[in-house]
Amino acid sequence: MKFMNFENYFDLTGKVAIVTGGGNGIGKACCLMLAKAGASVSVTDLKFEDAKQVADEILQAGGKAIALPCNVTKDEDLVAVVDRTVKEFGGIHILVNNAGGGGGGRENPRQFGVDKFAWVFQLNVFSAWRLSQLCAPHMKTGGYGSIINITSMSSVNKSPNMSAYASSKAAMNHMTANLAMDYGVDNIRVNAVGPGATKTAALASVLTPEIEEKMLAHTPIKRLGEADDIAGAVLYFASPISGWVSGQVIFVNGGGVQTLD
Amino acid sequence: MKTTIEKLFSFEGKVIIITGAAGAIGSAAGHLFASLGANVVISDLNEEGARKVAAGITQETGREALGIKTNATVESDLETLVQTTINKFGKISGLINNVGWGAATPIWGSDTDKMVKSYLLNTVGAYNLTKLCMPYLEKEANASVVFSGSMVGVSPSPEFIEYSTAKAGLMNMVRSMAVVSGPKVRFNTVLIGSVDNGDSTLAAGYTPEMLKALSDMFVMKRRGVPVEIAYGMMFLMSDAAQWITGIDLRIDGGGTYKSKMPGKD
Repeated sequence: MKFMNFENYFDLTGKVAIVTGGGNGIGKACCLMLAKAGASVSVTDLKFEDAKQVADEILQAGGKAIALPCNVTKDEDLVAVVDRTVKEFGGIHILVNNAGGGGGGRENPRQFGVDKFAWVFQLNVFSAWRLSQLCAPHMKTGGYGSIINITSMSSVNKSPNMSAYASSKAAMNHMTANLAMDYGVDNIRVNAVGPGATKTAALASVLTPEIEEKMLAHTPIKRLGEADDIAGAVLYFASPISGWVSGQVIFVNGGGVQTLD
Repeated sequence: MKTTIEKLFSFEGKVIIITGAAGAIGSAAGHLFASLGANVVISDLNEEGARKVAAGITQETGREALGIKTNATVESDLETLVQTTINKFGKISGLINNVGWGAATPIWGSDTDKMVKSYLLNTVGAYNLTKLCMPYLEKEANASVVFSGSMVGVSPSPEFIEYSTAKAGLMNMVRSMAVVSGPKVRFNTVLIGSVDNGDSTLAAGYTPEMLKALSDMFVMKRRGVPVEIAYGMMFLMSDAAQWITGIDLRIDGGGTYKSKMPGKD
């Protein structure tokens, strides 16, 4: 029986991870989880102060982290994140494309233009594609690569006023499957995690008790998600134990469908 | 910092039944869960194999494991499996419906008998055993059932017409169980690609040359090893997956690919 030792299942010691949008919510939980598994983490966020707090928390607990400012819609920021990470930690093995935005039932197609639509794709899709492109050579050189895209239940749900965000996340799902093909030859795995409604500040901005009650009515596991629920799935994909898993989208959603309407 | 993660994936104090567990994937799961602290029940049609796997697990991990003969298509055998588990360990915290098998059949070469037999083994057996386990599972924290699905159940598989239709049925059954059984019990499927499980694969009609060609078709350029499937089962059963139910986790080396532009790939 060929086993890794348990210590190795989730052991990311010596591995380097970049997490975008790592300052809060799901991204923060991913940073902490990967650091707990031993990875050195580049915590990147549009809000540098938030990234710094997360990096400090990791450092105080004995882990390794740096905080970097990053607007994922700016190519120079993405290039800088990769350069700084390689300089600081010597390579890149794990990329969590978590930064994203839009949606929230605020996309009435009568009230926004194609520029806003393009911006949502820039933020959610193009940035993840570009950052993967920048990280892949380092993953190939380092002999270990796992890219994890944070998608959304909205990528498969039908909801009003979500056309830009939901279609961008659907694009992300399919991009995941296609990049798995492209980067598989370099032993880089590409997977996605699709959170259901998860208790973060972003959700709190649109959640009402009535909406929550309706969401739970359609959710077998009778609670909304916690950021750690998502980070657990990210850890699975980041770890050596998922070495034969690529091109997959898994939904962490309590078995149900949570929509805002 | 590692202790939090060890806790997430600890199976200390859990009792897990695994069917088809004398085979490559089932026995890998048995060893894995026992190494993480569980007492496992190794159920298989092959009694000697089941006992051997259980003894090997106990020897390797020091955990008490039970090997028991079960014909998954015989209801009284399933009852015995559940009762023996309860008598021995007092509870059931997890179930892995792993048993299943299918032979290559020409698409128009099947008949009612072959179709029904495949359905009874691959689908109905899992239903019956899960039903028997439910009263016990519902009493346990983060109880969970994992099913071994197959890629043949989601893609056209005329070579395995009996097996693939039974697996497709199984996977839809799992989704139905999931939507009504939360939050007490979680139900998920691991969707298995081509795994090197030794003799079983050869018995299904593959030659070594065919297997080499098959390996090259996968994005990861190899077939899976049994423990990689067990790792997926472990993740789905763990505390890290407490908000995951009703999903199919594909463990298939990224799938297979053939260019739509032959000669240009």
